[in-house]
Amino acid sequence: MNRYIHAMVILTLIVLTIVLATAFALGGITLYLPPRNVRSLAEIFLNTTFNLEYRISPMSPEAVTAIVWDYRGLDTLFETSVMFLAIVGALTLFRGLSEKLPQEETEYRGGLSVIVKTITRIATVMIIAVGASLALHGHLTPGGGFQGGATIAVAPMLIIITFSTYFMFRSIPVKKAVLLRSIGLSVIALTTFLVLIIALTQNGTAYIFQNQPKIHADYGIPSYLGDTIVLGGTLLLFNAAETFAVAFGFIALLILITVPEDYAKTIVLEGEE
Amino acid sequence: MMEVVQFLFNIVVVSMIMNIAISLYGVFARPSLIKKIIALTIFGDTINLMVILIGFRYVEPNPLPPILTTIPPTSIDISTFVQKAVDPLPQALVLTAIVIGLAVTLFLIFLTIQIYRIYRTTNVKKIAKLRG
Repeated sequence: MNRYIHAMVILTLIVLTIVLATAFALGGITLYLPPRNVRSLAEIFLNTTFNLEYRISPMSPEAVTAIVWDYRGLDTLFETSVMFLAIVGALTLFRGLSEKLPQEETEYRGGLSVIVKTITRIATVMIIAVGASLALHGHLTPGGGFQGGATIAVAPMLIIITFSTYFMFRSIPVKKAVLLRSIGLSVIALTTFLVLIIALTQNGTAYIFQNQPKIHADYGIPSYLGDTIVLGGTLLLFNAAETFAVAFGFIALLILITVPEDYAKTIVLEGEE
Repeated sequence: MMEVVQFLFNIVVVSMIMNIAISLYGVFARPSLIKKIIALTIFGDTINLMVILIGFRYVEPNPLPPILTTIPPTSIDISTFVQKAVDPLPQALVLTAIVIGLAVTLFLIFLTIQIYRIYRTTNVKKIAKLRG
């Protein structure tokens, strides 16, 4: 009986969707039409993203990366810090779990079969290569720091499932992962001031978060290597550092989320006393 | 022909609105924290899809990805790029929103696991009655 009710609810929703869509279409209404001038904003971005005539161009052929790390760079910096806060909150909730984990290791030496382990070893290298390619070509092709980091974070998940949490913990402890993540974030913070530091050492002026030379600030990170290789200025640095930060943040969280439940319960309930 | 395009577009939009309604129902009415988190991810993904859809408006008929392929570009390349490429701004916003959504979801899952370990339940109605 219950199953019929569920089926009826789903059918009703589908029919309601089609009926509403038909009614709107027959009434001549197309839903969700933003005004035509949303396109004018896009035209500004698309026109200046790689244009040698403009002095505000970030010199990146990929418009999305240019927006993420140049036009709206400060925005992305604070979004990264929001993510940092979420990860710090999760680490705080599971405090004390990772310190005694290696001592438990003698009890369990398992993992899946040799075939799965060998294939995982090969696949891990390939996943990390794809992630690095996504990140380092972020200013040329679809991709960037966030995507590369999220791709690389798949590799530790595979290792944890096929080898065990202890194996992952032995190679990268939670503290080391958090340290490497903090190093990535500090490189991002340094890169925001990089052009300013270069300008100050040469008695010039520059802006924070500057990438290419601007009108009153004639300094910048080189955008070309030779004639054809596009470096993208600070975008390359930002993407590489962001990959580091995202990947190691997720590694820390993935180790903590796969801590064995029996062991975790003893630690958590001890803390309550 | 225009009517059919309009109808298909309306189906997409109406089903997204339905999706939002169902996920909000899940967030507010279901007692289990896990189901609330699942509904929240559906909600976030639907909003992301709606934002992405803005970028594809008024680029007709075949939009290109927002990437210049000839380096260095001539002025003709740039003008076709401006006319035919999709709006990159929604994509940039959604890109960061997805990764932050992932981190926030992981945080919520950590919170739920901790609640389960301490109170032995993920039902918010039972947790509210515990008074502790």
